Amino acid sequence: MEIMRLVVTGPVGAGKSTFIRSVSEIDVVDTDRRATDEASLLKPKTTVAFDFGRLQFSPDMALHLYGTPGQARFDFMWDILIRRAHAYMLLVAAHRPREFHYARRILSFMQRRSRAPLIIGLTHTDQPGTWDEENILIALGFPNPDRHPPIVSVDATEAGSVAVAIMTLLQHYSQVQQRNVEQPAPHR
Amino acid sequence: MAINVEKLNTLLQNFVSATSDVEGAALVTPDGLPLATSLPGGMDDERVSAMSAAMLSLGERIGSELARGSIDRIYVEGTHGYGVLTSCAEDAVFLVLANRSAKLGVLMLEIKRAIAELKLVLM
Repeated sequence: MEIMRLVVTGPVGAGKSTFIRSVSEIDVVDTDRRATDEASLLKPKTTVAFDFGRLQFSPDMALHLYGTPGQARFDFMWDILIRRAHAYMLLVAAHRPREFHYARRILSFMQRRSRAPLIIGLTHTDQPGTWDEENILIALGFPNPDRHPPIVSVDATEAGSVAVAIMTLLQHYSQVQQRNVEQPAPHR
Repeated sequence: MAINVEKLNTLLQNFVSATSDVEGAALVTPDGLPLATSLPGGMDDERVSAMSAAMLSLGERIGSELARGSIDRIYVEGTHGYGVLTSCAEDAVFLVLANRSAKLGVLMLEIKRAIAELKLVLM
């Protein structure tokens, strides 16, 4: 049995815990605590260690889903989780442009520690004030329209939509693996 | 009534200076924000607070899922000493850092006493 560890990260309130709860086959191991910081403006509870969910993807592959806390004071958890991830997803609320800069910070934190493939998931795209993909990509530091991670819209409350996002992440992962086999990275 | 932060700080400072082998202490919210801290130099109180909250929440999760009941304390024993986390009423977590020569029995008793005092201020 192969186990794939997928990490879901992103700013507070992007929908990371909801995302994992929507598809996990086990009761999600959450570490929610009552929020007393700015997170409390968005939601009553916030993740303080990680969320853990599991999904039997195929008879010989199980997905382990880890959701990170959103706040930077928990970046030691980001570090622990990303180092063992096979692939990860950055979830961003498409209608809260003030958080794009922070999402970019999370991304650079992750990229400094991991070369795992990543995709971007846009949540809350049904809300007023939603930015379009191109502009969000630019805000996240991908100005070149031909060179950016795959990007998908996802409704974190919908199991079907979350499953599509996970499929996209897995496809991207296997493409990157394939590319690495064809052009092995030079030894350093 | 507002929490008397000054009183909390004084209690922590007294606890750290009066208890032998204790090097630092912090009182934090369950979501990882500092309420009052008296920590060794070089330790960032935000980070310490976040770690305390993460650790206690995982410990409590182990307590419930692995049928160990409610958690009295979590302690980390390292080559340089101890880190002891105790929940302090509903709204706070108490972290104590002690060096290797601390006597555990004494330390636990002192922590119990300190928590009783802290709870009075938090109420």
